[in-house]
Amino acid sequence: MKEKKNVKIALLAALFVGLIVFPIVDKNTYHQLALAQTLVNVIIVLGLNFITGLTGQMNLGTAGIMALGAYSGQLMVQKLGMATILTIPVAILMGVIIGYALGYPSLRLKGVYLSLTTIGFSEIVRLVITNWADFTGGTTGVQNIPALNLFGLKLDATWKLTVFLVIICAVLVFTAYRIVNSKYGRVFKAIRDNIEAVEACGIDVAGLKIKAFTLAAIFGCIGGCFYGFLMTYLNPTQFTQDLSANYLLMMMFGGIGSVPGSVIGATAVTLLPEFLRFTKEYYWLIFGIITLLFAIFLPYGFISLFQKEKREEAGIFKILNDRKGKRKNAGVPKSGGMR
Amino acid sequence: MAEERKSVLRLENITKKFQGLTAVDDVSFDMKERSIYALIGPNGAGKTTTVNMITGVFPPTTGKIYYRDRCINGMKTFEIARLGIGRTFQNLKLFNSMSVLENLMIGGHEMTKIGLVNFCFNFGGSKKEEILLRERAEEVMEYLGIQDLAKRNVKNLSYGRQKIVELGRAMMTGPKLLLLDEPAAGLIPSERKEFVDIVLRMFEEGMDIFLIEHNMDVVMNVSTYITVLNFGSRIAEGTPKEIQSDPEVIKAYLGDKYQEIAAKERRD
Ligand SMILES: Nc1ncnc2c1ncn2[C@@H]1O[C@H](COP(=O)(O)OP(=O)(O)OP(=O)(O)O)[C@@H](O)[C@H]1O
Ligand SMILES: [Mg+2]
Repeated sequence: MKEKKNVKIALLAALFVGLIVFPIVDKNTYHQLALAQTLVNVIIVLGLNFITGLTGQMNLGTAGIMALGAYSGQLMVQKLGMATILTIPVAILMGVIIGYALGYPSLRLKGVYLSLTTIGFSEIVRLVITNWADFTGGTTGVQNIPALNLFGLKLDATWKLTVFLVIICAVLVFTAYRIVNSKYGRVFKAIRDNIEAVEACGIDVAGLKIKAFTLAAIFGCIGGCFYGFLMTYLNPTQFTQDLSANYLLMMMFGGIGSVPGSVIGATAVTLLPEFLRFTKEYYWLIFGIITLLFAIFLPYGFISLFQKEKREEAGIFKILNDRKGKRKNAGVPKSGGMR
Repeated sequence: MAEERKSVLRLENITKKFQGLTAVDDVSFDMKERSIYALIGPNGAGKTTTVNMITGVFPPTTGKIYYRDRCINGMKTFEIARLGIGRTFQNLKLFNSMSVLENLMIGGHEMTKIGLVNFCFNFGGSKKEEILLRERAEEVMEYLGIQDLAKRNVKNLSYGRQKIVELGRAMMTGPKLLLLDEPAAGLIPSERKEFVDIVLRMFEEGMDIFLIEHNMDVVMNVSTYITVLNFGSRIAEGTPKEIQSDPEVIKAYLGDKYQEIAAKERRD
């Protein structure tokens, strides 16, 4: 048991070192960008996982969250001459504000109505940054974003920013993993399972939902902040509804509620277009088919292949199991659920 | 002597209307300390509705509810739970994606103190807290005899075990008053006996118990005082003996079988 854990830690450490070394060794900017974009997406999906994956509150406002996280810092750099490093705390603060702003309506709204509200939020953000041209640059957006300056260490090449992103991403993955596998992860999931029972345990569900939204928004804003540095420009067309849906897809692809799942999902869906490049105009068709197959056969995501419990009740395995089960004990009613 | 005991739970003229339907109609009662207080009545009498008002799931249309002489009208469900009122549900409400241990640990969530921001940085403290919570859950599981099921997913357990898990989760909140909504319903006789034993043990250890139950064996054997509801109204209250021989209760709820038993008991 202990040994298995040690092996896991060793593998993760190796992966971490490998990811740090990769952008230093591989001089291909295109590869570096792909890695950096993947890391940004991992951060954002980890956030989305708190609110939608664990707590079960549908959030289709990720694009809006990212946009605010990116714009808030960069506008302060441009207009107030703020140090670039401060964009990170600004993004975190923005995340807290959005967490409360989106969390409160979620206390009264459920299901489809909450989805619509989050879409509305995202669209309002996009419309404001499009139309408040004097302040946000309108459709041209924010151009020539300066390199992130870490107390004198200028991350003025893609590989430098990517190395820094690897470190930030590792810290956030670790933090997310700890939260998901703690009392907080547990009660977040409990809200999804049965909200009335959570309240009967003396737990303040409203407060927890706001915490989950805030976590999602903080991760989303940090992701957005780095996205700005990576792209070196921001404009409203980057933050459309497609983007939010794409993050949701990443989460479902990898496995709802799981940190490794979020990481795998974000990585796969970010890099898949690169690997499917040879399919040219058929790309969307093939991507769509792959997604559908996943939804049908692995509804708990890729990670469920490695989780015994979920594997047995999910998609393809359930179908196989049911077949077997039917042959074995035909006619025996399931225990439980009587009354 | 009964008059000296303090009031634990007092309802004063509680009425609950759902649109046109009066589910609970001007019900009052006073549950004293150190009692197993039963609320019985036919289906649809308003028993679950009463518990839902006590626990703040919805407010009464009119009337006041007191817990240890403190008015709890208008308080939220989780605030009421924090006062020390635990409950189980008539239709199980478990956390179905999780194990027995996790279900119980959620019940004990409020024991823990470390906030989310602190949690991110305080590694040692949060680990210690988690261990404490787990140990408490293990104690409760042992108390209930379900320690072997700790790692099992609750949704794969039998109905009877699920009911015990739900009871365990309620115990984890450290209640002083426990509201049980039909705990023995759907249990096989051996499980029912086990449940009664547990409830009696908990009572002896100092918990007050408010019990809704259809099974008359259970009610008559464990309760110290009974209130009977019918179509939302209180039709009788008294000790099990008094209730068994109350003609109106027999007519509305118990049926002739119990009349015979009561008659026999009178002859004895
Ligand atoms: N949320 C609700 N909205 C509308 N009507 C309700 C609601 N809850 C309960 N009722 C109605 O109130 C009446 C009392 O229901 P309640 O569940 O309290 O009965 P009960 O005594 O617990 O019965 P049982 O023994 O079947 O559990 C029923 O007619 C029920 O349909
Ligand atoms: Mg009921």
